Amino acid sequence: MKTTQSMTSIRLGVLLSMLSLIAIVVLFELGIRLEWIALMLIIEIPLLLTLLISFILSFMRTGLWKFTHKPIKDLDERELELASKSLRTAYSLFAILVLCILLVIAVFNIAVSIILAVSLIFLAHLMPGIVIAFTEKSLRF
Amino acid sequence: MENRKIYNRMMILRKEKGISRVELAERIGVNFQTIGYLEREEYNPSLDLAFRIAEVFELPVDVIFSTNPFQSISQILKERSMEEER
Repeated sequence: MKTTQSMTSIRLGVLLSMLSLIAIVVLFELGIRLEWIALMLIIEIPLLLTLLISFILSFMRTGLWKFTHKPIKDLDERELELASKSLRTAYSLFAILVLCILLVIAVFNIAVSIILAVSLIFLAHLMPGIVIAFTEKSLRF
Repeated sequence: MENRKIYNRMMILRKEKGISRVELAERIGVNFQTIGYLEREEYNPSLDLAFRIAEVFELPVDVIFSTNPFQSISQILKERSMEEER
C-alpha cells in the first residue's frame, strides 16, 4: 500500500514537471507573440518554481535522474535491461513529439525560440525517467 | 518471446548462510536492490548471474532455480515425516 501511494505521488510529481514545462514554453511563445511581457514574467516565475520543486521531489530525491544518467559500466544486468527499455520507449515518444513540433513550425512558419530548444533538450533528459515512473511498479535504485 | 517465470530459493539460502543482501550483491557483482528483485522473483537472472549465485551458495544451479514453484519447507517436512511413518 505504501509503495502504491509513493508511486502515485512520484507519478503526480512527474506529471506536474511535464505540465509546468509545457506551460512555460506555451506561455513564453504566446507572451512573445501577443506582447504580454509583464504578465508572462509574473506567471512564468511560479511555473519555474513548480518545475524546480517537482523536479527535485520526483526526479532527484527518488534517484530517477541519477539512474537514467549513470554510466553503463555502473549498471548491473537488471538495471541495463530497465535502462535499455526506458530509453527505447523514450526515444520513440521524443521522436514523435519533435516531428510533430517541426511539422507545426513548418506549417505555421514559426521561429524556433531558445526556450523551446532548451525545453526540448531538458525533456530529452527527463523522458527515460518519465517512462520508468509510469511503467515500473516500484522505484528501487 | 515471453519469458517464463524463474522460481528460486535465494532468500532461504541467503538467510541460512547468514549473509546480507548487500554482502551477497557485492559477492556476485550487482546492485543490492537487484538481490531484492531476484528474491521476490520479479527478475530472471542471466545464466552467468545464476552461476555466480550458485557459486556463492556452493550448490548446483538447479537446486536454487527452477521453472516450477518450489515446495515450501512445511510441505517438505510433512512429506518426509509421512514417509518416515511408513
